[in-house]
Amino acid sequence: MGIERIDPELCDGCKICVSTCPMDVIRMDMESKKAIIKYPEDCMLCEWCALDCPKKAITATPVKTARIMVAWG
Amino acid sequence: MKEYVVETDVLVIGAGFAGFFAAIKAKEKGVDVTLVDKCYAGKSGSSAYPDTWLTFNPEWGHKLEAWMDQFNKSGEYLNNREWTEIVLKGSYSSFKDLVSYGVKFFKDDGEYRRSKGSPEAVFEQLLFGGSYEAGGRRETAQVLRRHAVKSGIKIMDRIMITDLIKQGGRVVGAVGIPMESYDVYIFKAKATVISTGAAGFKPAGWPISELTGDGMAIAYRVGAELVGSEFVDTHSIWADFPASRKMSRITSPGQNGPTPIYPPIRTRSKTFNAEGDYIPSGPPSNAVRFSTEAHAGRAPIFAQVPSAAATYYGVADRVFAEGGWIRQTGCAVGGMATHTTEGLWPINTKCESSVPGLYAAGDSLGTYMVGAIYVTSGIATAGAVVTGTRAGQHAAEYALQAEKQTVDGEELTNLKKRVHAPLERKGGFGPRWVTQVLQNITRPYYILYVKHEMRLQAALTLVEFIRDHLVPKLYAMDPHELRLVHETKNMVLNAEMKLRCSLFRTESRGRHYREDYPRRDDSAWLAWIKLSEKNGTMKLSKEPIPKKWHPDPSKPYEERYPARFPGE
Repeated sequence: MGIERIDPELCDGCKICVSTCPMDVIRMDMESKKAIIKYPEDCMLCEWCALDCPKKAITATPVKTARIMVAWG
Repeated sequence: MKEYVVETDVLVIGAGFAGFFAAIKAKEKGVDVTLVDKCYAGKSGSSAYPDTWLTFNPEWGHKLEAWMDQFNKSGEYLNNREWTEIVLKGSYSSFKDLVSYGVKFFKDDGEYRRSKGSPEAVFEQLLFGGSYEAGGRRETAQVLRRHAVKSGIKIMDRIMITDLIKQGGRVVGAVGIPMESYDVYIFKAKATVISTGAAGFKPAGWPISELTGDGMAIAYRVGAELVGSEFVDTHSIWADFPASRKMSRITSPGQNGPTPIYPPIRTRSKTFNAEGDYIPSGPPSNAVRFSTEAHAGRAPIFAQVPSAAATYYGVADRVFAEGGWIRQTGCAVGGMATHTTEGLWPINTKCESSVPGLYAAGDSLGTYMVGAIYVTSGIATAGAVVTGTRAGQHAAEYALQAEKQTVDGEELTNLKKRVHAPLERKGGFGPRWVTQVLQNITRPYYILYVKHEMRLQAALTLVEFIRDHLVPKLYAMDPHELRLVHETKNMVLNAEMKLRCSLFRTESRGRHYREDYPRRDDSAWLAWIKLSEKNGTMKLSKEPIPKKWHPDPSKPYEERYPARFPGE
């Protein structure tokens, strides 16, 4: 699903990935002060979060699961 | 909800090459400049993936006449020669600007590496420098950001402009929403530049999903004249990994694309249809060639992947398990127009739109410098910087003359209400679902590449239904979804433009192929299509191309147009 995981052990909460993501997929978790994947379905697989993360905490894959087409949504 | 008011002389919307140059050049004129971007300025849009730069430089032996001639022929006589010449002539000084700001280009032994697509090619490109693995080319736009900050330009990230404010017949600012709060931003500006790039429908394969035609939409809503949405940008993707830019790269080795991390492998893959016939690349477009095969029931299209490429991309096992072939499909850019063929109609060479106070640059300006086909790589980057430079300078001059206008009143109150209305709705339709419905209508080859009146009309009927019935009921649960709602609304409007223009142009030319009109029609269609809003509906008209730019009518059709469309 594009961005798959932000390793909480490695993430130091620098917020670079939050501002880097053009699709606004990543946000800060207020409690843990670490980055979390908030809107995974909007990931466009540019992989920049993984590239820009100074701690290499982000895993991204080339696979994206398609949304299922439904009658309304 | 808080309301923030930002006053500035020149407001620039969208921070790619065009936007940065508009801001920097406006600032050099001594005005106050604010640059706003939906994402992070320097990391957003197509400009974050620069590959080549087309540089015309007589000192390198380039001949203007030969370059122009190639543009005219390859662009199938639809290029605006005034703009082609402006961009070519401006490309070298813009290149020097880039270098002076710290942008790197590849060098061999101290000399800039000048690349040619093929030995017989007329054009030469420079390659943006930096290593792929380190994301070096991504650094380019961030160099511009640093220069902009140093110049004293105010940069505001992660704010989506949802509407322009028009008062007293001119654009006097804009309304925007931030990504992470329920606040609203009111920008009061003496002049505004739109540089938000081209418009797609959140494509697979190329990561340009933030380019949702926002510039086209906000300009349309204030009555600006727009141009040309019928020519389609085309790229291929690997059918097994349609969403991945890395995997898509492998289908088009040698093709420039949004993959700064992964180097191009400059050997062409060979493509064959399901029956084993070789389908060579070439004009008018690979998309039409491959789509026609699909249309005739001869898909899949197989691409033979060079082993070096498969190894480099780390997919050798998978590719060789399939015998060295992968299945290739289209729609990488999801309906984006050919660079510079759609955008705000420039009423002069100052990048001024038909609405006073509103300018545009880059892919947001319909300069038509390339014509009906994206003639050569590197022209989009050069064009963005050259037009950005002009737009910034002239917007600044306009701002220096303009009187300050009060921005308030009923219209502004209504705009603010409209911006937040999707948050007030208890229910309706979600933006992701409406986007998906729109993609399902606009994306198949029989709408996008192999067009026909019946199918275009059917698609338009559905898009009109979405516009009238679904869009007014879009709802958002949070600020992130509010952005999606406005993007969806803009994409629906852009879909209507693309379909109407595709229906209107009853001929085939360049990247616009009509199965029911497979020939170029020089008697009727040496013209650009202009569109604008009139009394609530979209009106289209022809803007004739000056006679002196027409191809020689005494030459036989086959000489004027060496490339054949299927069915001609």
